[in-house]
Amino acid sequence: MNDAPRGTENLDEATGARDRRAMLVAGLAGAVVAIAGASKVTAAENDFTAAELDILRFAQRLELTARDLYDAAMAAGATGAIWEAMSEQHEAYAQSIAGLTGLSADSRNDEVFDALVGAFSSSGAAEAAYDLESAAAATHIEVLGLLNHRPASELIASIISAESRHCVVLADLTGRGTDLTSLLVNNAQPILPA
Amino acid sequence: MNHPRAARPNGFDRRTLLRAGGVSLLGGAVLSACAADFGGDTAPGRVGLADEGTPLPDGIVDDVVLMRTMQSLEHTVVAGLTAMADGGMFSAAQSTYIDRFISDHVAASGALGAIIEAGGGEQFACPNEWVMTRYIEPILAAVQGTDDEMRDVRAISHALETMLAHSYQHVVGLLDAPAHRRAAMVQGAAASRRSATLAVQSSAALHGYVGPELAGTPERTSDGFPIPYAVPSTFGRVDQIELVVGAVDDEGSRFSTLLQTPAENTFVYAYQSC
Repeated sequence: MNDAPRGTENLDEATGARDRRAMLVAGLAGAVVAIAGASKVTAAENDFTAAELDILRFAQRLELTARDLYDAAMAAGATGAIWEAMSEQHEAYAQSIAGLTGLSADSRNDEVFDALVGAFSSSGAAEAAYDLESAAAATHIEVLGLLNHRPASELIASIISAESRHCVVLADLTGRGTDLTSLLVNNAQPILPA
Repeated sequence: MNHPRAARPNGFDRRTLLRAGGVSLLGGAVLSACAADFGGDTAPGRVGLADEGTPLPDGIVDDVVLMRTMQSLEHTVVAGLTAMADGGMFSAAQSTYIDRFISDHVAASGALGAIIEAGGGEQFACPNEWVMTRYIEPILAAVQGTDDEMRDVRAISHALETMLAHSYQHVVGLLDAPAHRRAAMVQGAAASRRSATLAVQSSAALHGYVGPELAGTPERTSDGFPIPYAVPSTFGRVDQIELVVGAVDDEGSRFSTLLQTPAENTFVYAYQSC
């Protein structure tokens, strides 16, 4: 599997991974503080409605599901820095939602995990990851349309940007680096609450 | 016998002068304060006969203005890419991407235009004049006579798409309506994918996908050019984008600029049209 372009292979060292995770958590705290301090925030906009908390909880669980799926892929033999980076980033998204809302980042969406873990544990893991990232970005775009809460909207927007970039990397990893549709267009359907 | 005479005040010593002056000033101030308005122009005086300036209308920043601004940025990127394409700067392979990018930008402008009109605004389907004069024109001038045209057009294209991606994410925090935020990030996600695509093509083979913040990869080439990464950070970014292009000048440096997300001086206000 073509999953580690040159220059990033040294990231597989366990100690480096621990350091990065610590840096990630520190960076996350800063990001949450920055978002909470955004200038155009009013008191009303800082109050979550019950519906907003529900939808953010759904988004948070989707991120933890993605983390667990990448971890399952690595456990099944997927190697390369990008897998670990993806896992860490999705965990960071879940934790950032926790930091903003107070919702504990402690559970995944089992329905989505069970549906995809087989593909993530197979030789087609990168393909499955491309589909998941595309669906996650599409989902968060829909989440954005349901939020009045401005700081939460800013956070979700930043996750959409990052996951859209993940899609391009995974398209390249799956040999579609010259397929403009795979690179540029998100045809995935959002994952909706049951 | 002579006795010295004591000095006698003559009624006009310094103390008296000071006292009289103080009383006069106080009296003047009281009279001025109580005086009637005698009319006349109270504006600061002017020297010369030049025409007076026309004050700008107050610029109100609302969702329509923000969407007009993003529409103008889409056309700004089209103008930049088209200028380089018309100048024959792209390779045949690159042209495939750039043509697709241009058509995507035009389509994005159409989608934004529909939102603007639904919000009661007038479309602004033209390049953003402020960005054109401050960024695009100087950048295009800098690549004339460059030592590596291919390197420069790659860097410019990436910087423009990244600027657009950052801008869409930035305006989410400024827009009021959730539907408008969603619409902005539909376009923002597409811009992020274009930016990442160009980064992969430029540098993934040599430097990987993941940026220095996450992987300790280099920020710059040995020649000092910023290296684009498909995944430069954990979260999407809204910071400025450094661009270095052109030949080395007499002072040993190259043209560099920092592309930024829109702000008050870049917004396309309701009173502006094209």
